[in-house]
Amino acid sequence: MTGKYASDPAWASIAPIPLNDGSESGAVPLATIAYSEEYLEATSYLRAVMAANEMSERALGLTEDVISMNPAHYTVWIYRAKILFALNKDLLEELEWLNGVSLKYLKNYQIWHHRQVIMSSREHFPTLPPKEMDFLMEMFAQDSKNYHVWTYRHWLVRHFELWDSPRELADMNSLINSDVRNNSAWNHRYMLRFGPRSNEPDAGMVNAEGKPHEKGRLSVVDEDLVDEELKYAQEQIIRAPENRSPWSYARGVLRAAGRPLSEWTGFSRKLVVDEFDEQGQLSGVSVKSSHAIEWLADVYADAEGHNRDEAVRMLNLLKDKYDPIRRNYWDYRIRAIEAGEVPASA
Amino acid sequence: MSLASGPGRAAGTLADQKLYAEKHIDYIKKLDSRKDELEYWLTEHLRLNGVYWGLTALHLLGCPDGLPRDNAVDFVLSCQQENGGFGAAPGHDAHLLYTVSAVQILVTLDAVDELEKRGLGGKQKVGSFIAGLQDRESGSFMGDEWGELDTRFLYGALNALSLLGLLHLVDVTKAVSYVQKCENLDGGYGVTPGAESHAGQVFTCVGALAIAGRLDLVDKDRLGGWLSERQLEHGGLNGRPEKLADACYSWWVGASLAMIDKLDWIDGPKLVAYILHCQDPEAGGFADRPDNAVDVFHTHFAVAGLSLLGFEGVEEVDPVYCMPKAITSKVLSA
Repeated sequence: MTGKYASDPAWASIAPIPLNDGSESGAVPLATIAYSEEYLEATSYLRAVMAANEMSERALGLTEDVISMNPAHYTVWIYRAKILFALNKDLLEELEWLNGVSLKYLKNYQIWHHRQVIMSSREHFPTLPPKEMDFLMEMFAQDSKNYHVWTYRHWLVRHFELWDSPRELADMNSLINSDVRNNSAWNHRYMLRFGPRSNEPDAGMVNAEGKPHEKGRLSVVDEDLVDEELKYAQEQIIRAPENRSPWSYARGVLRAAGRPLSEWTGFSRKLVVDEFDEQGQLSGVSVKSSHAIEWLADVYADAEGHNRDEAVRMLNLLKDKYDPIRRNYWDYRIRAIEAGEVPASA
Repeated sequence: MSLASGPGRAAGTLADQKLYAEKHIDYIKKLDSRKDELEYWLTEHLRLNGVYWGLTALHLLGCPDGLPRDNAVDFVLSCQQENGGFGAAPGHDAHLLYTVSAVQILVTLDAVDELEKRGLGGKQKVGSFIAGLQDRESGSFMGDEWGELDTRFLYGALNALSLLGLLHLVDVTKAVSYVQKCENLDGGYGVTPGAESHAGQVFTCVGALAIAGRLDLVDKDRLGGWLSERQLEHGGLNGRPEKLADACYSWWVGASLAMIDKLDWIDGPKLVAYILHCQDPEAGGFADRPDNAVDVFHTHFAVAGLSLLGFEGVEEVDPVYCMPKAITSKVLSA
């Protein structure tokens, strides 16, 4: 072998371990892998230093080299984290380096777990490093729905107890402002405002293992906050009435507060307006949001709504005109109401 | 099994309602002869998954002997590590995701007994590796010693262990409780508690509950509503609100709906048309969406999606295991 490692005196003490893919037995053609020479050499040295569990600068450099060629190589990341801690490296520098790799390989997820492993060290990071959220916003500028980044951010919130950090809400406002259809940002907002706090187990909602109708219900409710968030959701719906996210958000808010969907009957009615002819007969309906129709159907079908005919009329609007691709679903809902059952999605 | 994409593109037309099964079979069989491409080694970390995808697609397309059985078994065994788990390729560290693929391949090839004959410590050792990845506090599963958590790992663990008849090695009750924490108010499930609902993670969570016999915990109406809302005007399915459709979601969404008996809540014929639009009628293979390059991952999940929808000429798939139903029925009733 005549690659850059073989010709480097710093690596002379290492006997590289070539890949044993079993192909020598001649029995496994499926496994024979064609590598580029450079990658083949680097990984053969990697195998050797990993086998010796070497914690050194040169090994750290080697992991960087392998990652730069193939960041999806999952084994190399574990080894790199071990070296960083063993050599007590400056982890802020590691984060800086990771920033560049993350922006280069947007779809890679090993990077994000590695970042979490590094950030988990309370000794190095007793509090959130000041630039962390700036970098995440830089990531969101590339892909505002990147699932790995959002999952990491949620972890950060729990780890550093950031639910009420002004930065969190400000960033969610900014992201929703630039794309009101960013469901990831809406989900994160919900976790900040109504999700389980540090004294409760992490979950998609409070009381996650409770009875179906009690899931998500807070034991202590800040009514001002609830009103504020409902108002915010309405403002965002006006911007794009057909956008599902704020409608789901509002359902979650009302659920958290233990308040009924009927609070929004008037608001939904503004988006689903019956039209009458000169004789005062119902002649049609002007619809700005299919989600408003569904909301009204749920309100009317509710035991307190006492208006099953109206609920069925709403569901038929969805089935026939506004969401016909799901006609079987709407049919199911209609049959349930006609059978006197409680609505499916209240 | 090469995971390189292309060379073909999904050039199908909407009017074309034919499945070019022979082309797809040829496409998969030829994947192994593409080792001279750069992408082949860059996807080495997925190799064992790739064999599972190719093999399963071949079975569903009615060509169970499409891959040489002995070679496939040898390759799987060559990926096993001392700790009983399997890496993505020989010499790679063991990881849960590849261990699951290894088990699925061996079960599909009716070769689990090879683990006793030639493997390292038999199926018990494989089961111990998987069981060792469970966090006994939370019930969740890590992928490897690195500690990453993902409901994919939890599902994979239950999948492989139940196929091996070793489910008793883990705390199923705690695993179920963890899945419950991943449920969101919209009825969907995320990768970890609190993470946004995502159709891929919905599949893993519902699949895990199905294997644990706890589908009663799913809010089927709400989840079915959320899943059916994934269908877009052109018939294809997306994985989250306001995202693009992708042929692989035909599986993640479709199988989840099938497990909760709500598959009729989406428009089947429209979805079939979308999937067929994603195929390359000339060189074979399926892409994520029309006009994109084909690959074995999307080929597998597109064919599995067609199977769910009862497409004529495609073998029945098990929505819980994503394996031929004839095989899982036999193994799980044994």
